[in-house]
Amino acid sequence: MKKYISIIIILSLSLFLISACESGDQNSQKSITIAEQYGLAYAPVQLIKELKLLEESDSDLKVEWKQLSNTTSIRESMLAGEVNVAFMAIPPFLIARDKGMEWKIISGLSESPLGLMTNRSYINFLSDFKTEDEIALPQPGSIQHILLSMAAKREFGETEKFDDQLLTMNHPDAMNALLAGREVSAHFASAPYLFLESKEDGIKKVLSGSEAFGGDFTFIIGVSTKEFYQQQSENYILFYKALMKAIDFIEQNPAGAAELLADNYDLSQAEMEEYLSWPGMKFTSEIKGLEEFIAFMTAEGYLEENDYQGSELIFEEKTELEVELNALEKGVWKNEE
Amino acid sequence: MKNKYQQRLIWISVLALIWQLTALSGTFSKMIFPGLDQIFMALIESFKDGTLIKQIAFSLSIIIQGLSLATAAALILALTAYFSKNAAGLIDTLTALAHPLPGIALMPLILIWFGSGRTAILIVIIHSVLWPLILNLSTGFNSIPDIYTLIAKNYRLNKLEFMFKILIPASLPYFISGLKIAWARSWRALISAEMLFGAINSLGGLGWYIFQKRVFFDLPGVFAGIIVIIVIGVTVEDFIFKKLEAKTVKKWGMLK
Repeated sequence: MKKYISIIIILSLSLFLISACESGDQNSQKSITIAEQYGLAYAPVQLIKELKLLEESDSDLKVEWKQLSNTTSIRESMLAGEVNVAFMAIPPFLIARDKGMEWKIISGLSESPLGLMTNRSYINFLSDFKTEDEIALPQPGSIQHILLSMAAKREFGETEKFDDQLLTMNHPDAMNALLAGREVSAHFASAPYLFLESKEDGIKKVLSGSEAFGGDFTFIIGVSTKEFYQQQSENYILFYKALMKAIDFIEQNPAGAAELLADNYDLSQAEMEEYLSWPGMKFTSEIKGLEEFIAFMTAEGYLEENDYQGSELIFEEKTELEVELNALEKGVWKNEE
Repeated sequence: MKNKYQQRLIWISVLALIWQLTALSGTFSKMIFPGLDQIFMALIESFKDGTLIKQIAFSLSIIIQGLSLATAAALILALTAYFSKNAAGLIDTLTALAHPLPGIALMPLILIWFGSGRTAILIVIIHSVLWPLILNLSTGFNSIPDIYTLIAKNYRLNKLEFMFKILIPASLPYFISGLKIAWARSWRALISAEMLFGAINSLGGLGWYIFQKRVFFDLPGVFAGIIVIIVIGVTVEDFIFKKLEAKTVKKWGMLK
Protein backbone atom coordinates (compact mmCIF):
# COMPACT_ATOMS: atom_id res chain seq x y z
CA MET A 1 0.00 0.00 0.00
CA LYS A 2 2.84 2.32 0.88
CA LYS A 3 4.24 1.89 -2.59
CA TYR A 4 0.93 2.82 -4.18
CA ILE A 5 0.66 5.98 -2.14
CA SER A 6 4.16 7.11 -2.99
CA ILE A 7 3.53 6.58 -6.69
CA ILE A 8 0.33 8.57 -6.51
CA ILE A 9 2.21 11.36 -4.78
CA ILE A 10 4.86 11.37 -7.48
CA LEU A 11 2.24 11.49 -10.19
CA SER A 12 0.32 14.35 -8.69
CA LEU A 13 3.51 16.24 -7.96
CA SER A 14 4.57 15.99 -11.56
CA LEU A 15 1.19 17.32 -12.60
CA PHE A 16 1.68 20.31 -10.33
CA LEU A 17 5.10 20.84 -11.79
CA ILE A 18 3.63 21.00 -15.24
CA SER A 19 1.08 23.56 -14.18
CA ALA A 20 3.78 25.58 -12.47
CA CYS A 21 5.78 25.74 -15.68
CA GLU A 22 2.75 26.96 -17.55
CA SER A 23 2.15 29.93 -15.32
CA GLY A 24 5.82 30.80 -14.92
CA ASP A 25 6.13 31.90 -18.52
CA GLN A 26 3.69 34.72 -18.38
CA ASN A 27 5.74 36.94 -16.14
CA SER A 28 7.85 38.51 -18.83
CA GLN A 29 5.64 41.37 -19.90
CA LYS A 30 7.77 42.96 -22.57
CA SER A 31 7.83 40.21 -25.13
CA ILE A 32 5.89 39.10 -28.12
CA THR A 33 6.08 35.83 -30.02
CA ILE A 34 4.91 35.79 -33.60
CA ALA A 35 4.43 32.73 -35.76
CA GLU A 36 5.71 33.15 -39.28
CA GLN A 37 4.90 31.08 -42.32
CA TYR A 38 6.26 30.93 -45.80
CA GLY A 39 3.98 32.30 -48.49
CA LEU A 40 3.56 35.48 -50.44
CA ALA A 41 0.38 36.44 -48.62
CA TYR A 42 2.40 36.77 -45.42
CA ALA A 43 4.73 39.38 -46.96
CA PRO A 44 3.80 42.22 -44.56
CA VAL A 45 4.74 39.99 -41.63
CA GLN A 46 8.14 39.35 -43.18
CA LEU A 47 8.43 43.08 -43.66
CA ILE A 48 7.86 43.71 -39.96
CA LYS A 49 10.72 41.34 -39.36
CA GLU A 50 13.05 42.77 -42.00
CA LEU A 51 12.44 46.42 -41.13
CA LYS A 52 12.51 45.61 -37.42
CA LEU A 53 9.36 47.68 -37.03
CA LEU A 54 8.61 46.24 -33.62
CA GLU A 55 12.07 46.67 -32.19
CA GLU A 56 12.11 50.22 -33.49
CA SER A 57 8.85 51.15 -31.85
CA ASP A 58 10.02 49.99 -28.45
CA SER A 59 13.57 48.88 -27.90
CA ASP A 60 12.61 47.05 -24.71
CA LEU A 61 10.26 44.77 -26.54
CA LYS A 62 11.66 41.30 -27.00
CA VAL A 63 10.44 40.02 -30.34
CA GLU A 64 10.55 36.33 -31.03
CA TRP A 65 9.77 34.74 -34.38
CA LYS A 66 8.67 31.15 -34.52
CA GLN A 67 8.75 29.15 -37.67
CA LEU A 68 5.96 26.60 -37.69
CA SER A 69 5.11 24.37 -40.57
CA ASN A 70 1.35 24.59 -40.76
CA THR A 71 -1.77 26.25 -39.43
CA THR A 72 -2.62 23.35 -37.16
CA SER A 73 0.64 23.52 -35.26
CA ILE A 74 0.37 27.30 -35.05
CA ARG A 75 -3.07 26.99 -33.47
CA GLU A 76 -1.76 24.42 -31.05
CA SER A 77 1.16 26.54 -29.93
CA MET A 78 -1.18 29.49 -29.47
CA LEU A 79 -3.39 27.33 -27.31
CA ALA A 80 -0.34 26.34 -25.31
CA GLY A 81 0.47 30.03 -24.83
CA GLU A 82 3.74 29.88 -26.76
CA VAL A 83 2.67 32.14 -29.60
CA ASN A 84 0.89 35.47 -29.20
CA VAL A 85 0.20 36.47 -32.75
CA ALA A 86 -0.28 34.36 -35.84
CA PHE A 87 -1.59 34.56 -39.38
CA MET A 88 -3.90 32.19 -41.14
CA ALA A 89 -6.96 31.95 -43.34
CA ILE A 90 -10.45 32.58 -42.02
CA PRO A 91 -11.79 28.97 -41.94
CA PRO A 92 -9.12 27.47 -39.63
CA PHE A 93 -9.60 30.45 -37.34
CA LEU A 94 -13.36 29.89 -37.25
CA ILE A 95 -13.03 26.16 -36.61
CA ALA A 96 -10.92 26.72 -33.51
CA ARG A 97 -13.12 29.62 -32.37
CA ASP A 98 -16.11 27.32 -32.70
CA LYS A 99 -14.41 24.70 -30.54
CA GLY A 100 -13.98 27.31 -27.81
CA MET A 101 -10.56 28.81 -28.43
CA GLU A 102 -10.39 32.28 -26.94
CA TRP A 103 -9.07 34.32 -29.78
CA LYS A 104 -10.08 37.01 -32.21
CA ILE A 105 -9.00 38.67 -35.42
CA ILE A 106 -6.57 41.57 -35.22
CA SER A 107 -6.99 42.70 -38.81
CA GLY A 108 -6.92 41.52 -42.36
CA LEU A 109 -3.54 40.99 -43.95
CA SER A 110 -3.95 40.17 -47.60
CA GLU A 111 -6.14 39.11 -50.44
CA SER A 112 -4.52 36.70 -52.79
CA PRO A 113 -5.40 34.75 -55.88
CA LEU A 114 -5.86 31.05 -55.29
CA GLY A 115 -6.32 28.45 -57.95
CA LEU A 116 -7.16 24.83 -58.49
CA MET A 117 -4.42 23.81 -60.93
CA THR A 118 -4.50 20.60 -62.91
CA ASN A 119 -2.02 18.66 -65.00
CA ARG A 120 -4.66 16.53 -66.75
CA SER A 121 -5.56 17.53 -70.27
CA TYR A 122 -9.13 16.25 -69.99
CA ILE A 123 -9.97 18.44 -67.01
CA ASN A 124 -11.30 21.85 -67.98
CA PHE A 125 -14.17 22.23 -65.54
CA LEU A 126 -14.93 20.85 -62.12
CA SER A 127 -17.38 18.41 -63.70
CA ASP A 128 -14.52 16.80 -65.64
CA PHE A 129 -12.96 15.38 -62.48
CA LYS A 130 -13.20 11.60 -62.36
CA THR A 131 -13.52 9.89 -58.99
CA GLU A 132 -9.93 8.66 -59.17
CA ASP A 133 -8.48 12.12 -59.76
CA GLU A 134 -6.80 13.18 -56.55
CA ILE A 135 -6.72 16.78 -55.41
CA ALA A 136 -3.85 17.94 -53.20
CA LEU A 137 -4.49 20.64 -50.61
CA PRO A 138 -3.01 21.56 -47.23
CA GLN A 139 -5.54 19.83 -44.97
CA PRO A 140 -9.23 19.29 -44.36
CA GLY A 141 -10.76 22.43 -42.92
CA SER A 142 -8.23 24.65 -44.69
CA ILE A 143 -9.43 27.57 -46.79
CA GLN A 144 -8.66 25.56 -49.93
CA HIS A 145 -10.87 22.74 -48.72
CA ILE A 146 -13.72 25.10 -47.82
CA LEU A 147 -13.44 26.89 -51.18
CA LEU A 148 -13.58 23.58 -52.99
CA SER A 149 -16.64 22.61 -50.95
CA MET A 150 -18.24 25.95 -51.81
CA ALA A 151 -17.70 25.37 -55.51
CA ALA A 152 -18.96 21.78 -55.22
CA LYS A 153 -22.06 23.02 -53.42
CA ARG A 154 -22.76 25.63 -56.06
CA GLU A 155 -22.18 23.43 -59.07
CA PHE A 156 -23.39 20.05 -57.93
CA GLY A 157 -25.33 20.72 -54.73
CA GLU A 158 -23.00 18.32 -52.93
CA THR A 159 -20.58 19.94 -50.49
CA GLU A 160 -18.65 16.76 -49.93
CA LYS A 161 -18.41 15.75 -53.58
CA PHE A 162 -14.61 15.88 -53.66
CA ASP A 163 -13.91 14.96 -50.04
CA ASP A 164 -13.03 11.40 -50.98
CA GLN A 165 -10.44 12.60 -53.46
CA LEU A 166 -8.45 14.87 -51.21
CA LEU A 167 -4.79 14.39 -50.53
CA THR A 168 -3.26 16.25 -47.63
CA MET A 169 0.02 17.80 -48.72
CA ASN A 170 1.87 21.00 -48.02
CA HIS A 171 2.25 23.35 -50.95
CA PRO A 172 5.84 22.56 -51.98
CA ASP A 173 5.20 18.79 -51.96
CA ALA A 174 1.93 19.26 -53.80
CA MET A 175 3.60 21.37 -56.46
CA ASN A 176 6.28 18.72 -56.99
CA ALA A 177 3.64 16.03 -57.23
CA LEU A 178 1.59 18.09 -59.67
CA LEU A 179 4.60 18.72 -61.89
CA ALA A 180 5.60 15.05 -61.69
CA GLY A 181 2.15 14.39 -63.08
CA ARG A 182 1.60 10.91 -61.75
CA GLU A 183 -0.56 10.55 -58.71
CA VAL A 184 -1.90 14.01 -58.14
CA SER A 185 -4.31 15.40 -60.73
CA ALA A 186 -4.84 18.80 -59.20
CA HIS A 187 -3.49 21.14 -56.54
CA PHE A 188 -5.36 23.95 -54.84
CA ALA A 189 -2.44 26.35 -54.78
CA SER A 190 -1.71 29.66 -53.13
CA ALA A 191 0.95 32.19 -54.08
CA PRO A 192 3.80 31.90 -54.98
CA TYR A 193 3.19 28.25 -55.90
CA LEU A 194 0.19 29.28 -57.96
CA PHE A 195 2.37 31.65 -59.99
CA LEU A 196 5.14 29.10 -60.43
CA GLU A 197 2.69 26.44 -61.54
CA SER A 198 0.89 28.72 -63.98
CA LYS A 199 4.19 29.29 -65.76
CA GLU A 200 4.60 25.57 -66.45
CA ASP A 201 3.49 23.97 -69.70
CA GLY A 202 0.55 21.63 -69.44
CA ILE A 203 -0.67 23.04 -66.14
CA LYS A 204 -3.88 25.02 -66.25
CA LYS A 205 -6.33 26.58 -63.87
CA VAL A 206 -9.73 24.94 -63.39
CA LEU A 207 -11.12 27.18 -60.71
CA SER A 208 -9.99 30.37 -59.05
CA GLY A 209 -10.51 31.23 -55.44
CA SER A 210 -12.87 34.08 -56.17
CA GLU A 211 -14.94 31.94 -58.55
CA ALA A 212 -15.29 29.36 -55.82
CA PHE A 213 -16.14 31.96 -53.21
CA GLY A 214 -18.31 34.06 -55.49
CA GLY A 215 -16.44 37.30 -54.94
CA ASP A 216 -13.42 38.75 -53.21
CA PHE A 217 -12.40 37.58 -49.81
CA THR A 218 -9.57 38.05 -47.36
CA PHE A 219 -7.09 35.22 -47.65
CA ILE A 220 -4.96 35.78 -44.57
CA ILE A 221 -5.92 37.43 -41.30
CA GLY A 222 -3.90 38.21 -38.21
CA VAL A 223 -5.15 36.63 -35.01
CA SER A 224 -4.28 36.86 -31.36
CA THR A 225 -5.49 35.40 -28.10
CA LYS A 226 -7.82 37.28 -25.78
CA GLU A 227 -5.30 36.75 -23.03
CA PHE A 228 -2.59 38.60 -24.92
CA TYR A 229 -4.99 41.37 -25.91
CA GLN A 230 -6.15 41.94 -22.36
CA GLN A 231 -3.01 41.34 -20.35
CA GLN A 232 -0.42 42.85 -22.69
CA SER A 233 -2.45 45.47 -24.48
CA GLU A 234 0.55 47.72 -24.83
CA ASN A 235 2.43 45.09 -26.80
CA TYR A 236 -0.71 44.32 -28.71
CA ILE A 237 -1.05 47.89 -29.87
CA LEU A 238 2.64 48.13 -30.74
CA PHE A 239 2.17 45.11 -32.92
CA TYR A 240 -1.01 46.49 -34.46
CA LYS A 241 0.72 49.71 -35.43
CA ALA A 242 3.69 47.86 -36.86
CA LEU A 243 1.36 45.69 -38.90
CA MET A 244 -0.50 48.69 -40.33
CA LYS A 245 2.80 50.29 -41.19
CA ALA A 246 4.01 47.19 -42.98
CA ILE A 247 0.79 46.85 -44.96
CA ASP A 248 0.98 50.50 -46.01
CA PHE A 249 4.60 50.15 -46.98
CA ILE A 250 3.99 47.17 -49.21
CA GLU A 251 0.93 48.69 -50.90
CA GLN A 252 2.60 52.02 -51.59
CA ASN A 253 6.06 50.84 -52.38
CA PRO A 254 6.01 47.34 -53.86
CA ALA A 255 9.41 47.85 -55.44
CA GLY A 256 10.98 48.72 -52.12
CA ALA A 257 9.26 45.81 -50.45
CA ALA A 258 10.42 43.49 -53.20
CA GLU A 259 13.98 44.62 -52.68
CA LEU A 260 13.76 43.96 -48.97
CA LEU A 261 12.01 40.63 -49.25
CA ALA A 262 13.55 38.99 -52.33
CA ASP A 263 16.23 37.18 -50.32
CA ASN A 264 13.69 36.12 -47.77
CA TYR A 265 11.68 34.32 -50.41
CA ASP A 266 14.68 33.13 -52.37
CA LEU A 267 13.49 34.96 -55.47
CA SER A 268 15.08 37.57 -57.67
CA GLN A 269 14.03 41.15 -57.06
CA ALA A 270 12.19 41.34 -60.37
CA GLU A 271 10.28 38.15 -59.70
CA MET A 272 9.42 39.29 -56.21
CA GLU A 273 8.03 42.56 -57.52
CA GLU A 274 6.10 40.77 -60.23
CA TYR A 275 4.56 38.47 -57.66
CA LEU A 276 3.77 41.20 -55.15
CA SER A 277 1.87 43.17 -57.77
CA TRP A 278 0.27 40.13 -59.43
CA PRO A 279 -3.37 40.83 -60.30
CA GLY A 280 -5.49 39.97 -57.30
CA MET A 281 -2.62 40.29 -54.83
CA LYS A 282 -3.65 42.96 -52.39
CA PHE A 283 -2.38 43.86 -48.97
CA THR A 284 -5.04 45.48 -46.86
CA SER A 285 -6.31 45.45 -43.30
CA GLU A 286 -9.88 45.24 -44.47
CA ILE A 287 -11.60 41.93 -43.68
CA LYS A 288 -13.77 40.67 -46.49
CA GLY A 289 -15.96 37.60 -46.63
CA LEU A 290 -16.10 36.75 -42.94
CA GLU A 291 -19.90 36.57 -42.90
CA GLU A 292 -20.01 34.42 -46.02
CA PHE A 293 -17.53 31.94 -44.56
CA ILE A 294 -19.50 31.76 -41.31
CA ALA A 295 -22.78 31.27 -43.15
CA PHE A 296 -21.44 28.54 -45.40
CA MET A 297 -19.50 26.71 -42.73
CA THR A 298 -22.42 26.76 -40.31
CA ALA A 299 -24.88 25.58 -42.93
CA GLU A 300 -22.61 22.72 -43.93
CA GLY A 301 -21.84 21.60 -40.40
CA TYR A 302 -18.20 22.69 -40.15
CA LEU A 303 -19.24 25.03 -37.33
CA GLU A 304 -21.74 24.39 -34.59
CA GLU A 305 -22.73 27.78 -33.23
CA ASN A 306 -24.13 30.25 -35.68
CA ASP A 307 -24.89 33.46 -33.83
CA TYR A 308 -21.49 35.09 -34.11
CA GLN A 309 -21.43 38.85 -34.06
CA GLY A 310 -18.60 40.67 -35.74
CA SER A 311 -17.44 42.06 -32.41
CA GLU A 312 -17.13 38.55 -31.00
CA LEU A 313 -14.65 37.71 -33.67
CA ILE A 314 -12.68 40.89 -34.22
CA PHE A 315 -10.75 42.81 -31.59
CA GLU A 316 -11.80 46.37 -31.05
CA GLU A 317 -9.05 48.88 -31.23
CA LYS A 318 -8.21 49.81 -27.71
CA THR A 319 -9.21 53.43 -27.58
CA GLU A 320 -8.36 54.04 -23.95
CA LEU A 321 -4.82 53.03 -24.67
CA GLU A 322 -4.59 54.98 -27.87
CA VAL A 323 -3.73 58.15 -25.96
CA GLU A 324 -0.94 56.49 -24.11
CA LEU A 325 0.34 55.01 -27.29
CA ASN A 326 0.27 58.28 -29.16
CA ALA A 327 2.64 59.66 -26.59
CA LEU A 328 4.84 56.67 -27.09
CA GLU A 329 4.68 57.08 -30.81
CA LYS A 330 5.78 60.68 -30.77
CA GLY A 331 8.79 59.81 -28.66
CA VAL A 332 10.05 56.90 -30.64
CA TRP A 333 8.91 57.29 -34.17
CA LYS A 334 9.69 60.95 -34.59
CA ASN A 335 13.26 60.63 -35.70
CA GLU A 336 12.28 58.15 -38.34
CA GLU A 337 9.76 60.30 -40.10
CA MET B 1 -1.84 -14.25 -14.42
CA LYS B 2 -5.10 -13.10 -12.85
CA ASN B 3 -3.19 -11.07 -10.37
CA LYS B 4 -1.48 -9.21 -13.17
CA TYR B 5 -4.76 -8.17 -14.72
CA GLN B 6 -6.12 -7.12 -11.33
CA GLN B 7 -3.08 -4.96 -10.77
CA ARG B 8 -3.39 -3.46 -14.19
CA LEU B 9 -7.05 -2.70 -13.63
CA ILE B 10 -6.30 -0.98 -10.34
CA TRP B 11 -3.60 1.12 -11.92
CA ILE B 12 -5.75 2.08 -14.85
CA SER B 13 -8.52 3.19 -12.53
CA VAL B 14 -6.08 5.20 -10.44
CA LEU B 15 -4.67 6.91 -13.53
CA ALA B 16 -8.17 7.54 -14.89
CA LEU B 17 -9.21 9.04 -11.58
CA ILE B 18 -6.22 11.38 -11.50
CA TRP B 19 -6.93 12.34 -15.09
CA GLN B 20 -10.56 13.09 -14.40
CA LEU B 21 -9.80 15.04 -11.21
CA THR B 22 -7.21 17.13 -13.04
CA ALA B 23 -9.70 17.80 -15.80
CA LEU B 24 -12.44 18.74 -13.34
CA SER B 25 -10.15 20.93 -11.24
CA GLY B 26 -10.01 23.40 -14.12
CA THR B 27 -6.24 23.95 -13.86
CA PHE B 28 -6.05 23.54 -17.61
CA SER B 29 -8.53 24.77 -20.12
CA LYS B 30 -10.93 22.14 -21.39
CA MET B 31 -9.41 22.52 -24.82
CA ILE B 32 -6.01 21.41 -23.60
CA PHE B 33 -7.13 18.76 -21.12
CA PRO B 34 -10.52 17.21 -21.88
CA GLY B 35 -12.26 15.05 -19.28
CA LEU B 36 -12.70 11.33 -19.74
CA ASP B 37 -16.42 11.79 -20.26
CA GLN B 38 -15.74 13.99 -23.29
CA ILE B 39 -13.18 11.54 -24.61
CA PHE B 40 -15.54 8.59 -24.33
CA MET B 41 -18.37 10.54 -25.88
CA ALA B 42 -16.08 11.28 -28.83
CA LEU B 43 -15.13 7.61 -29.01
CA ILE B 44 -18.74 6.43 -28.99
CA GLU B 45 -19.70 9.02 -31.57
CA SER B 46 -16.95 7.86 -33.91
CA PHE B 47 -17.90 4.21 -33.49
CA LYS B 48 -21.54 5.00 -34.12
CA ASP B 49 -21.16 6.35 -37.62
CA GLY B 50 -19.08 3.34 -38.58
CA THR B 51 -16.10 5.09 -40.15
CA LEU B 52 -13.79 4.42 -37.22
CA ILE B 53 -14.35 0.65 -37.48
CA LYS B 54 -13.53 0.77 -41.18
CA GLN B 55 -10.47 2.89 -40.45
CA ILE B 56 -9.27 0.43 -37.82
CA ALA B 57 -9.78 -2.44 -40.25
CA PHE B 58 -7.91 -0.51 -42.91
CA SER B 59 -4.96 0.18 -40.61
CA LEU B 60 -4.82 -3.40 -39.39
CA SER B 61 -4.94 -4.78 -42.91
CA ILE B 62 -1.94 -2.70 -43.96
CA ILE B 63 -0.04 -3.70 -40.82
CA ILE B 64 -0.73 -7.39 -41.33
CA GLN B 65 0.31 -7.16 -44.95
CA GLY B 66 3.46 -5.22 -44.08
CA LEU B 67 4.36 -7.52 -41.22
CA SER B 68 3.96 -10.70 -43.24
CA LEU B 69 5.93 -9.34 -46.18
CA ALA B 70 8.68 -8.08 -43.88
CA THR B 71 8.77 -11.33 -41.91
CA ALA B 72 9.10 -13.40 -45.06
CA ALA B 73 11.83 -11.12 -46.39
CA ALA B 74 13.64 -11.12 -43.05
CA LEU B 75 13.56 -14.91 -42.85
CA ILE B 76 14.94 -15.28 -46.35
CA LEU B 77 17.66 -12.69 -45.78
CA ALA B 78 18.67 -14.00 -42.37
CA LEU B 79 18.81 -17.58 -43.64
CA THR B 80 20.87 -16.54 -46.65
CA ALA B 81 23.20 -14.70 -44.35
CA TYR B 82 23.49 -17.77 -42.15
CA PHE B 83 24.48 -20.05 -45.00
CA SER B 84 26.66 -17.73 -47.06
CA LYS B 85 29.55 -15.69 -45.76
CA ASN B 86 29.44 -13.23 -48.67
CA ALA B 87 25.74 -12.59 -48.34
CA ALA B 88 26.24 -12.18 -44.59
CA GLY B 89 28.64 -9.32 -45.25
CA LEU B 90 26.23 -7.57 -47.55
CA ILE B 91 23.20 -8.04 -45.33
CA ASP B 92 25.14 -6.97 -42.29
CA THR B 93 26.24 -3.79 -44.07
CA LEU B 94 22.71 -3.06 -45.29
CA THR B 95 21.31 -3.55 -41.82
CA ALA B 96 23.95 -1.34 -40.28
CA LEU B 97 23.14 1.40 -42.78
CA ALA B 98 19.36 1.18 -42.78
CA HIS B 99 18.51 0.15 -39.24
CA PRO B 100 19.19 3.51 -37.57
CA LEU B 101 17.33 5.39 -40.31
CA PRO B 102 13.82 6.39 -39.19
CA GLY B 103 11.09 5.79 -41.74
CA ILE B 104 9.99 9.40 -41.41
CA ALA B 105 13.35 10.57 -42.74
CA LEU B 106 12.67 8.61 -45.91
CA MET B 107 9.21 10.12 -46.41
CA PRO B 108 10.23 12.77 -48.95
CA LEU B 109 11.94 10.15 -51.10
CA ILE B 110 9.09 7.70 -50.78
CA LEU B 111 6.64 10.41 -51.79
CA ILE B 112 8.57 11.07 -54.97
CA TRP B 113 9.18 7.44 -55.86
CA PHE B 114 5.98 5.75 -54.83
CA GLY B 115 3.49 8.57 -54.44
CA SER B 116 1.43 8.74 -51.28
CA GLY B 117 -0.75 5.70 -51.72
CA ARG B 118 -0.99 2.41 -49.90
CA THR B 119 2.34 1.27 -51.38
CA ALA B 120 4.13 4.16 -49.72
CA ILE B 121 2.76 3.29 -46.30
CA LEU B 122 3.60 -0.37 -46.83
CA ILE B 123 7.16 0.56 -47.67
CA VAL B 124 7.52 2.70 -44.57
CA ILE B 125 6.22 -0.19 -42.44
CA ILE B 126 8.45 -2.76 -44.09
CA HIS B 127 11.47 -0.52 -43.70
CA SER B 128 10.86 0.02 -40.00
CA VAL B 129 10.21 -3.68 -39.35
CA LEU B 130 12.61 -5.55 -41.61
CA TRP B 131 15.93 -4.54 -40.07
CA PRO B 132 15.17 -5.27 -36.41
CA LEU B 133 13.69 -8.61 -37.50
CA ILE B 134 16.84 -9.53 -39.43
CA LEU B 135 19.00 -8.54 -36.49
CA ASN B 136 16.96 -10.64 -34.10
CA LEU B 137 16.81 -13.62 -36.40
CA SER B 138 20.55 -13.55 -37.12
CA THR B 139 21.33 -13.31 -33.43
CA GLY B 140 18.97 -16.23 -32.87
CA PHE B 141 20.57 -18.35 -35.57
CA ASN B 142 24.07 -17.62 -34.38
CA SER B 143 23.34 -18.37 -30.76
CA ILE B 144 22.24 -21.93 -31.43
CA PRO B 145 24.61 -24.27 -29.57
CA ASP B 146 27.03 -26.09 -31.86
CA ILE B 147 25.75 -29.37 -30.55
CA TYR B 148 22.46 -28.89 -32.44
CA THR B 149 24.18 -28.36 -35.75
CA LEU B 150 26.36 -31.38 -35.08
CA ILE B 151 23.27 -33.46 -34.43
CA ALA B 152 21.90 -32.30 -37.78
CA LYS B 153 25.09 -33.42 -39.46
CA ASN B 154 24.91 -36.74 -37.67
CA TYR B 155 21.39 -37.29 -38.96
CA ARG B 156 22.51 -36.12 -42.42
CA LEU B 157 19.71 -33.60 -42.59
CA ASN B 158 19.70 -31.60 -45.79
CA LYS B 159 19.64 -27.81 -45.64
CA LEU B 160 15.89 -27.52 -45.83
CA GLU B 161 15.31 -30.05 -43.10
CA PHE B 162 18.00 -28.40 -41.00
CA MET B 163 16.27 -25.05 -41.41
CA PHE B 164 12.82 -26.16 -40.43
CA LYS B 165 13.65 -28.83 -37.88
CA ILE B 166 16.53 -27.19 -36.06
CA LEU B 167 17.46 -23.65 -37.03
CA ILE B 168 14.06 -21.97 -36.83
CA PRO B 169 12.62 -23.80 -33.81
CA ALA B 170 15.86 -23.38 -31.89
CA SER B 171 15.91 -19.65 -32.47
CA LEU B 172 12.18 -19.15 -31.90
CA PRO B 173 12.50 -17.06 -28.71
CA TYR B 174 14.53 -14.54 -30.70
CA PHE B 175 12.09 -14.73 -33.55
CA ILE B 176 9.11 -14.03 -31.29
CA SER B 177 10.77 -11.15 -29.49
CA GLY B 178 11.70 -9.82 -32.93
CA LEU B 179 8.06 -10.04 -33.95
CA LYS B 180 7.03 -8.14 -30.85
CA ILE B 181 9.41 -5.34 -31.67
CA ALA B 182 8.21 -5.48 -35.26
CA TRP B 183 4.58 -5.17 -34.19
CA ALA B 184 5.26 -2.12 -32.04
CA ARG B 185 7.41 -0.48 -34.67
CA SER B 186 4.93 -1.16 -37.46
CA TRP B 187 2.23 0.64 -35.48
CA ARG B 188 4.43 3.66 -35.04
CA ALA B 189 5.40 3.66 -38.68
CA LEU B 190 1.82 3.28 -39.82
CA ILE B 191 0.43 6.06 -37.67
CA SER B 192 3.15 8.51 -38.59
CA ALA B 193 2.92 7.63 -42.26
CA GLU B 194 -0.83 8.05 -42.28
CA MET B 195 -0.60 11.36 -40.50
CA LEU B 196 1.88 12.57 -43.08
CA PHE B 197 0.41 11.12 -46.25
CA GLY B 198 -3.24 11.69 -45.49
CA ALA B 199 -6.16 9.57 -46.50
CA ILE B 200 -5.87 6.81 -49.02
CA ASN B 201 -8.90 5.38 -50.74
CA SER B 202 -10.97 8.17 -49.27
CA LEU B 203 -11.01 6.41 -45.94
CA GLY B 204 -7.59 6.40 -44.36
CA GLY B 205 -6.73 4.60 -41.20
CA LEU B 206 -6.33 5.41 -37.55
CA GLY B 207 -3.50 7.88 -38.13
CA TRP B 208 -5.71 9.76 -40.52
CA TYR B 209 -8.53 9.67 -37.97
CA ILE B 210 -6.28 11.36 -35.42
CA PHE B 211 -5.02 13.86 -37.98
CA GLN B 212 -8.55 14.77 -39.01
CA LYS B 213 -9.58 15.30 -35.41
CA ARG B 214 -6.50 17.43 -34.97
CA VAL B 215 -7.14 19.74 -37.92
CA PHE B 216 -10.72 20.23 -36.80
CA PHE B 217 -9.42 21.05 -33.34
CA ASP B 218 -11.23 18.19 -31.65
CA LEU B 219 -8.92 17.16 -28.80
CA PRO B 220 -11.29 14.59 -27.26
CA GLY B 221 -11.34 12.95 -30.68
CA VAL B 222 -7.54 12.87 -30.76
CA PHE B 223 -7.53 11.16 -27.38
CA ALA B 224 -10.19 8.73 -28.58
CA GLY B 225 -7.88 7.70 -31.43
CA ILE B 226 -4.97 7.28 -29.03
CA ILE B 227 -7.10 5.08 -26.75
CA VAL B 228 -8.04 2.86 -29.68
CA ILE B 229 -4.37 2.42 -30.55
CA ILE B 230 -3.50 1.56 -26.94
CA VAL B 231 -6.32 -0.96 -26.68
CA ILE B 232 -5.34 -2.72 -29.89
CA GLY B 233 -1.68 -2.75 -28.88
CA VAL B 234 -2.39 -4.25 -25.45
CA THR B 235 -4.81 -6.79 -26.87
CA VAL B 236 -2.35 -8.08 -29.43
CA GLU B 237 0.48 -8.19 -26.91
CA ASP B 238 -1.58 -9.93 -24.22
CA PHE B 239 -3.51 -12.37 -26.33
CA ILE B 240 -1.77 -13.13 -29.57
CA PHE B 241 1.87 -12.97 -28.49
CA LYS B 242 1.25 -14.48 -25.04
CA LYS B 243 -0.66 -17.37 -26.65
CA LEU B 244 2.04 -17.87 -29.24
CA GLU B 245 4.70 -18.00 -26.55
CA ALA B 246 2.66 -20.35 -24.36
CA LYS B 247 2.10 -22.75 -27.24
CA THR B 248 5.71 -22.82 -28.37
CA VAL B 249 8.73 -21.58 -26.49
CA LYS B 250 7.19 -21.91 -23.03
CA LYS B 251 5.81 -25.34 -23.73
CA TRP B 252 9.21 -26.43 -25.03
CA GLY B 253 10.90 -25.10 -21.94
CA MET B 254 12.97 -22.49 -23.80
CA LEU B 255 11.56 -19.53 -21.92
CA LYS B 256 10.44 -19.04 -18.38
